[in-house]
Amino acid sequence: MKTIINITLKGIFRDRIFQGIMVLAALFLFIPSAASLSMRQVTELSITLSLSLISFILLLLSVFLGAISIWKDIERRYTFSVLSLPISRTEYLVGRFCGIALFMLLTALILGGIALSVTKFATVIYPPARPILWSAIIASILFSALKYIMLVAVAMLLATVGTSFFLPVFGTVCTYLAGSITQQVYDYLHTPSAEKAVSLFIKKVALFLYYLLPNLSAFDFRVNAIYALPLNPYGMLVSVLYFVAYTSILLAVGAILLGRREMK
Amino acid sequence: MSQVRRPLGVLLLSLCLYGVVLGPFTTYMKQKPVEEKLGYVPSAKLLHYLSADHKEFFGAMLVMKAIMYFGSLIENQQAKVVVTPPDYPGMSRILHGAVQLDPYNMDAYYFAQSFLTWEVKQYKLANSLLDYGMKYRTWDWYLPFFAGFNSAYFLNDYAAAAKYYQRAGELSGSDLSKLLAGRYMQESGQTELAIAYLTAMEKGEGNQALKQTYRTRLGAFQEVRRIELARDRFKEAKGALPTTIAQLLQGGFLVPPPVDPYGGQFYLVSGGKVATTSKFAFGGKSK
Repeated sequence: MKTIINITLKGIFRDRIFQGIMVLAALFLFIPSAASLSMRQVTELSITLSLSLISFILLLLSVFLGAISIWKDIERRYTFSVLSLPISRTEYLVGRFCGIALFMLLTALILGGIALSVTKFATVIYPPARPILWSAIIASILFSALKYIMLVAVAMLLATVGTSFFLPVFGTVCTYLAGSITQQVYDYLHTPSAEKAVSLFIKKVALFLYYLLPNLSAFDFRVNAIYALPLNPYGMLVSVLYFVAYTSILLAVGAILLGRREMK
Repeated sequence: MSQVRRPLGVLLLSLCLYGVVLGPFTTYMKQKPVEEKLGYVPSAKLLHYLSADHKEFFGAMLVMKAIMYFGSLIENQQAKVVVTPPDYPGMSRILHGAVQLDPYNMDAYYFAQSFLTWEVKQYKLANSLLDYGMKYRTWDWYLPFFAGFNSAYFLNDYAAAAKYYQRAGELSGSDLSKLLAGRYMQESGQTELAIAYLTAMEKGEGNQALKQTYRTRLGAFQEVRRIELARDRFKEAKGALPTTIAQLLQGGFLVPPPVDPYGGQFYLVSGGKVATTSKFAFGGKSK
């Protein structure tokens, strides 16, 4: 499996994806001046912009790396040569996933470092009204990385059944959008007004989707990071456990489907 | 060679076209009415779903849109280019949408307070927005400070004002709010209350467009206060209230003559209250 992880990482660097990210990361340089347009929360706005930029870059990475890596291997028939090695299809899938996940963590680490420097710079020029909660910013970046790693698992699962890149790419984008709002829908369904307005059937379907789709809002600690609100350690622990369980399920189902897939 | 020549020709032609179009295009964009630039913003509910995990970002962008729009209008107003009033309902809608996306966004509350009260006269709407913000920004003394001012100055609800100022004083630890809570809870202190509020706002403002609006309004209220003091001196000396500003000028009670920074003329209404033809707004003179 180490070989597959190595191959994946080397492939990502060979494709100059890292350089591409660094070009996008140049946008960080403009954040302090953009944030200075704020009237009362310059530091908060620079944290907002930094976290959104990291999130956007990680989203692009998860969609394209997760969705394309397996599909490209099958399409270019690289899988034949890879699978002729003494490794199982499961090891191949998990190896690919771990390679991408490691790259995403590395990216989050580097971009996180830049974001912290930008925030520090903003606080020096425009001292904030409230002290910055650095631990919340770091937690927010790490949980953002976990969220997008989970999205990579979704993309890889879809890639094991898809015959073109459309299903994994668009399926992942749709899962991302749906996974970001499932909690809001769930909360709405438990309000008195929804009790009257929503039919039982729709409610059951929505609840089924709530448990089926990944709950990505669990990994959102952005408000804590931006406005220095205290973190809930129990909530963080439960979210990590949720990540482990859900990602394992996705990879297991992906491995089963890939194992049964005919490769001609 | 011919394979390169043709696209090269097209490229040169396109570059020429681009050069020709760029001038009129830039001029058109520069002259595009600012009213159009506020544009259409989807409902907050839709944005709430579409923004996924970027709610704070979209909230901040909505606030920026309103600030940019207002900033360009103020500049044009001072340059006497645009005489039509800003689209305040549109700005209010955008800011209400922004706080639905990010209820912690201070810029939205701060900016809404700056125009919902003086310009739009939607005092209750301003205070309900501030009450909404206070549920989230539990550490922020500015929100109860604003709400206290609105209650005392605009709504004449002194009990509510005292409660808000009390809270602002507790949160800030500063004496200003406590001072306001005790000293100005009466109608006679209205102008002083406005001057104290506007001085604090103007001092802490970084945005040049807003700073200028505060400065202008502060200048107007300082002139009103000067007239009020002259009126009181007149009454003390003559035993009756003056009916015109001219009486104050002729009697030497008011030197130099007051100037309304909005371009209007001050006058006295019944009971000696000071008013102005500008109604404390640019372009208000004609109304």
